[in-house]
This record gives sequence, structure tokens and C-alpha cells, in this order.
Amino acid sequence: MDPTLAVLIYASLAAAAAGLGALPLLVKRPLPVVWIGWANALAAGMMLGAAYALMIGGMARLPAVAALGAAVGIAFVSWTHAVSGTGDLPLNRLHETSPEYGYRLLLVNTLHSAAEGVAIGSAMIVSLPFGVFMALAIAAHNIPEGTVLSAILTTRGVKLVDASGLAVATKVSQVLMAIVSFALIGAAPGLLPWALGFAVGSLVCLVLVDLLPECYQQAGSTSIALVTIVAMGILVLLVSGGG
Amino acid sequence: MPGLLAVFGYGLITALATGLGALPFAVVRRVSAQTVAYANALASGLMLGASFGLVAEGTVLGNWQTVIGAVIGVTFILVTQILLKRHNVEFGRIRGAGARRMVLMLVVMTVHSFAEGVAVGVSFGGGMSLAVVIVVAIAVHNVPEGLAITAVLRPQGTSVLACAGWSIVSSLPQPIMAVPAFLLVEAFQSILPYGIGFAAGAMVFMVLVELLPEAYGQGRRPRVAVLVSATLLAMMLFQQYL
Repeated sequence: MDPTLAVLIYASLAAAAAGLGALPLLVKRPLPVVWIGWANALAAGMMLGAAYALMIGGMARLPAVAALGAAVGIAFVSWTHAVSGTGDLPLNRLHETSPEYGYRLLLVNTLHSAAEGVAIGSAMIVSLPFGVFMALAIAAHNIPEGTVLSAILTTRGVKLVDASGLAVATKVSQVLMAIVSFALIGAAPGLLPWALGFAVGSLVCLVLVDLLPECYQQAGSTSIALVTIVAMGILVLLVSGGG
Repeated sequence: MPGLLAVFGYGLITALATGLGALPFAVVRRVSAQTVAYANALASGLMLGASFGLVAEGTVLGNWQTVIGAVIGVTFILVTQILLKRHNVEFGRIRGAGARRMVLMLVVMTVHSFAEGVAVGVSFGGGMSLAVVIVVAIAVHNVPEGLAITAVLRPQGTSVLACAGWSIVSSLPQPIMAVPAFLLVEAFQSILPYGIGFAAGAMVFMVLVELLPEAYGQGRRPRVAVLVSATLLAMMLFQQYL
């Protein structure tokens, strides 16, 4: 298979997984706030595990260039949050129906997914199995994220099937960035440590700015910490076991 | 081969290095709620970075041993937290949640030093030249640990000197564990991945259950996020190049 096609397929699978996040809402709607908190914590733990995997599995040692890339990633996340006015915005407001809030909500989710696309694209350059691992990890992470977004959108009056579609739509940036970063690094291999570093820095920063602050307002810190550390531990174990 | 006293002495040097971590806080005079938040964020980044490094080391020695160690570490913090909540702890003049966080921080950092002490002792079994390198490395790594402890204690009004003292105390298991580990290198080598997993699990859980909620409670979330992620990465770099 053409490698770029493989990136397209796996990144699209990861994006589509976000749509599955709407399933819990078939069972229970509105979703209890603590469930939203645990879904956020699940997503946060997997994302931290993915960052660890990129750092250890992708680089073995963190080269100085990768550290610069990580600094760029952190700067990118805080800059995009600042200019889009989403830095201090609570991202999980229920029953908030202003169009302004809906627009910012979708924007912040799209920006969030773009950085994860770089993670998939650069992992695919390291090796195909590592790239597939990263795509599947991001796919699993996208499910609880889809749950959170669908839960919020449905309280705004969006139909469940549309909410599920919007959750996938915010992940289109992931597919785009996976292919763009894969093609760019393929053309200029010197970019790889930069891209890996960028992905690590932005993933860690996004967990801390988008996911964890919401969690602690939705469920008790003990349950949040447990869910996060277990999700993270499973990914760490998978990446250490798989090489 | 070095003598027992030398092994203990080197372990003690690494413990004393932890006290140096209190120094940067000598300049912090006025402590606002914001300072507490960002100091907790700083400690979170340092501990997460240290844990990532530990996990990478532990999984090389044994995947499942590290995981089992981490599960025990998390359970240990949970139990300690429940015990501290039940008894209304005081730390100096501080009471309530603040005092609990301070005591928990000291407990976490002290128990995690046991694994480092084992690492010091085991490394002396490999000959003097390797050992000196590892002692210097662990001593240098201890400085940010002292910084993390001070970041939690100092904003609550503990003096810099007391922070340095507590930092050193938290590392005392290093010389104490180095000696038996040196005498029984092989036995201790096999428990090292459990110890490393325990240390990492306990620290990550402490960050998630106590430090980050406190940081988000008082600080602005973009600043907390940038501070934690930048410190985490700096700590990873620091561990690899020193």
C-alpha cells in the first residue's frame, strides 16, 4: 500500500472513532456530569500516555532539537488559545445556547485535533507499526472526547446524530495534519525530531489546558486521578510491551 | 570495592543535595494565592517529568514489575490520604487541606527516595567509576526534587531553611537503603523495577489528586498548562543530559 494512503486510512479511522462517542447518550441522556468528567479523564490519560509513547518510543532520547520543537508546540497551543479567546473559557458548559459559545467550542476542538494529527503523521514516519499504534491510541482517545462533545451539544438542542457528526467533523483537522506532516517530513527528514517534539509539547499542554481543568469541576479529584492514571498506564504498558 | 561507610557517605551526599532545591525560593517573599497555584504547577511538572524518566527506566528492567510497583504506589497514596483526612493533621501553624497536602508531599517524596537509595547501592556493586557517575547524577536529580518540595511547603509559610531541612529529610532513605542494597546487590537488583514503579505511580497520582486541582483552583488555566508542560519537558531534558 502507498504509505500516504495508509496515513489517510488510519487517520480517518481515528477521526471516525469520535462518532462512536455519542453511543453512551443512546443509553442515558442527559449524561450525568460525573460521567462527562470521567470521559474527560479517560481522554486525558490516554493523551498523556500517547505523549509518553512519542517521547520514549519515537525518540529513545529527547534530542535538543526535539526540545525546541516541544517549546514550539507549547507556544502554539497557548497562542491559538489566546487568539481564539478560548484560554480561560470553560469548555464543558451545559445548556449554554449562545451561537458564540457553540462556535468557540467547535473551534477549540478542531485546534485540539490538529496537534494530534501531527502526532499520527510523525509517528508514521518513525515506522508503520508505531504509526498504527499512535493512530489507534488517538482513535481510542477520540471516543471519550466525542462523548464529551456530544453530551454538550445535545444539551444545546443539537440532535444526537448531528452531534456525533460534528464530533467527527472537528477531527477532520487531525486527518489533514497527519497527511501534511507525513508529507512534509517525508520531503525533509530533518524535520522529524522537530515534529515529534512539537507533538509531545502540544499534546501535554492540551491535556492540561483543555481536559484536566474541566474534569476536576465535574467529578471528585480521587476518581479523576484514578481514571487518568489507569488510562495512561495502559498506554505506557502497551508501548513498552510492543517495543 | 568501596567500604560500607563510603557507600553510606555517598548516599548522604545525594541527600544533602536535595536541600539545594530550596534556594531559589529564598527570593520569594510575598506569597499570594496565585503563587501557591503556580508553585504547585511547578512541582507538578517536575514530578511528572521525573516519573516519565523513571517509567522509561523501569519498563526496561521489567514491564509487569513496574506496573505492579505503580499500583502499590497509587494504593499507598490513597490509603495515606484517607488516614490524613481522618486525623485532622497540622503542620506548624497550618491546618486542614493545606497541611494535608504538605504532609502528603513529604511522605511521597520520602518513600520515592527508597528506590533511589537502592539504585545508589546497586550501582556501587558495579565498581567505583560507574558508581561515582551515578552518585553525581542522583545528587543532581535531587535538586529539582527539593525544589518541588519547597514549592509546596514555602507558599504555606514554611521558612526556606526549614524547607531545605525537610528536603534533606525526604532523601535520607537514600543512604539508609544504599547500604543493604550494596551488600545484597543481586536481591535488590530484582526488586528495583518494583521500587521504580512505586515511586513513579505515587508521584503521578500525587500530582493528579492534590497538586493539579489546587493549581487550577487558584491559577489561570493557560498559565498552569504552560508552566506544567514546560517544566515537565525541562525535567526530561535535565535527566537525559546530566
